[in-house]
Amino acid sequence: MAAAIETHGLTKWYGGLRAVEQLDLEVEAGVVLGFLGPNGAGKTTVIRILTTILRPSAGSFAIAGIPHTRPVEIRRRVGVLPETAGYPEGQTGAEFLRYHARLFGRSRADARSIAQHLLGEVGLAERADSLVSRYSRGMRQRLGIARALVNDPQVVFLDEPSLGLDPAGQRQVLELIGRLAREHGATVVVSTHLLAEVEELCDQVLILHRGRVVAHGTTGELTRLAAGPRRGRLRVPVGQLERAAAALAAAGIDYAQDGRRDELELTIPAGTDPESAAADVLRRLLAANVAVLGFALEGGSLSDAFLAMTEAS
Amino acid sequence: MTAVESVRRRPATPASLVVAEQELRDLWLAGRGLPLALAFSVLLSFTTYLVATNQGLNFLEQREAVNVTLQVAVAVAALLVLLWAGDAVSGERERGTLEALLLVPTPRRALVVGKAAAALSLWLIAFAVSVPYVWFLGRGVGVVGVALGSGLAVGSLLALFLVGLGLLVSVFASSNRLSLAIGLFALLALFAPTQMPSGAQKGWAGDLLLRIDPLTAGLHYLGKVVVDAHGAGQDASWLIAPAVAAVLLPAAALAVAGRLSLRSGERA
Repeated sequence: MAAAIETHGLTKWYGGLRAVEQLDLEVEAGVVLGFLGPNGAGKTTVIRILTTILRPSAGSFAIAGIPHTRPVEIRRRVGVLPETAGYPEGQTGAEFLRYHARLFGRSRADARSIAQHLLGEVGLAERADSLVSRYSRGMRQRLGIARALVNDPQVVFLDEPSLGLDPAGQRQVLELIGRLAREHGATVVVSTHLLAEVEELCDQVLILHRGRVVAHGTTGELTRLAAGPRRGRLRVPVGQLERAAAALAAAGIDYAQDGRRDELELTIPAGTDPESAAADVLRRLLAANVAVLGFALEGGSLSDAFLAMTEAS
Repeated sequence: MTAVESVRRRPATPASLVVAEQELRDLWLAGRGLPLALAFSVLLSFTTYLVATNQGLNFLEQREAVNVTLQVAVAVAALLVLLWAGDAVSGERERGTLEALLLVPTPRRALVVGKAAAALSLWLIAFAVSVPYVWFLGRGVGVVGVALGSGLAVGSLLALFLVGLGLLVSVFASSNRLSLAIGLFALLALFAPTQMPSGAQKGWAGDLLLRIDPLTAGLHYLGKVVVDAHGAGQDASWLIAPAVAAVLLPAAALAVAGRLSLRSGERA
């Protein structure tokens, strides 16, 4: 079975500015891919190339096995929520979806039924006949997601779907994406800055920085790849602080007293399995009769990996 | 199988018709079409009232009165058509709605043809609105039929020309403001020869200028047919420029429409 997305040496220049360089990528069908990168990393450019809005300066790609030389066929197979999607203010939500379904070759009756179904899926059924100008930002984003699905795409690209939404709206949109990905079985590429949600939602993560891929893999693989030193935060009774410090020193673990009088910040060396190191620390503290009031491992999240990788490159 | 997949496929309408239908709906049911038509009829009412009753102007013969009203109708309709066509692509670009349209498998030329249909509908409605005014001013002297026929022919040629011009500018303009500014400048330039002193219009250079400018040539033809009661074919040479422009500009707009891109000047 052909990969959902396949790129070879994909490169895009804007005059003298390199936006994307030598992007080699393979994403299997059915995967939810988190597409991350700082502002200006080239995420939107890559999405626009893969959705045939822009031509690559060099390299090639295929979507659902269709080569980039057949853009019309690719458009039939992709659904897109553009980053700066505008909506016709004078159309209703239902009218907007019907129009786009018809542009994908559906008859009037089919388009009506598709619009009705999708509006229900994104929770806009009750506002189907309201003008888009009266929709909130979150409702517009959900309408945009519904539009991306009118052609029952094999690959869905969502560029910053939670942009400009309040936390509740962000949560709602990301839950919607997760549900749609499961129910439609499509490959979904989500470009976003919400790393915690990406960790929850995505099977794979790709980090782009200055037009280059700096990492691609599962969230676990990426956090392991980042492999920076991890920190532990230990809380003990104030009177037992010295005993705890002595136990840590005996175990060869660096520590520093934090702002709080009852807390120590531990540094777990890179290359050490953080969970085993934490278990070892706790064992030693218990052996030294230290009452552990709290212990938390920090670092090792996708957010840490993202920062480590983008700063390193 | 998803619900979208399960929808039974029925024969689809050609894409340009789908776009035209939506554009017409946006223009006439939800947009500015009706207010524009109303404003147009108010303007024609005012013009008709003036040419029919004003003591200062009532030296006009009926044929001249019909010609004045018809020329105002054609000129104003041309302006509306040009403005609407000028907004067609650059307006979508500015409102952020172009990307969604470029993402559909519809040929980009079909999108532009559909938009052209909406712009042309402005001319057809404007013409329909002018019919009672022409009839009122021309009744009893046998000029109504010839005025409406020649007005429809000239106006349609000019509308096609200006739709092409507006779309051509709109495809390349990075903003709506730029597109409208260029369109208006072009229209003013096209009207400029009518403002030349009558002496300058009579020399060979003036005559050539009037003939190669589709707008002045078309309006001149109307004058010959309506006021001077010439036969429709007698001054047909004046229709060469409007006819050529009505073919060339839309053809050029269609040619560049295939390369329609998200940003002007970008390769799509």
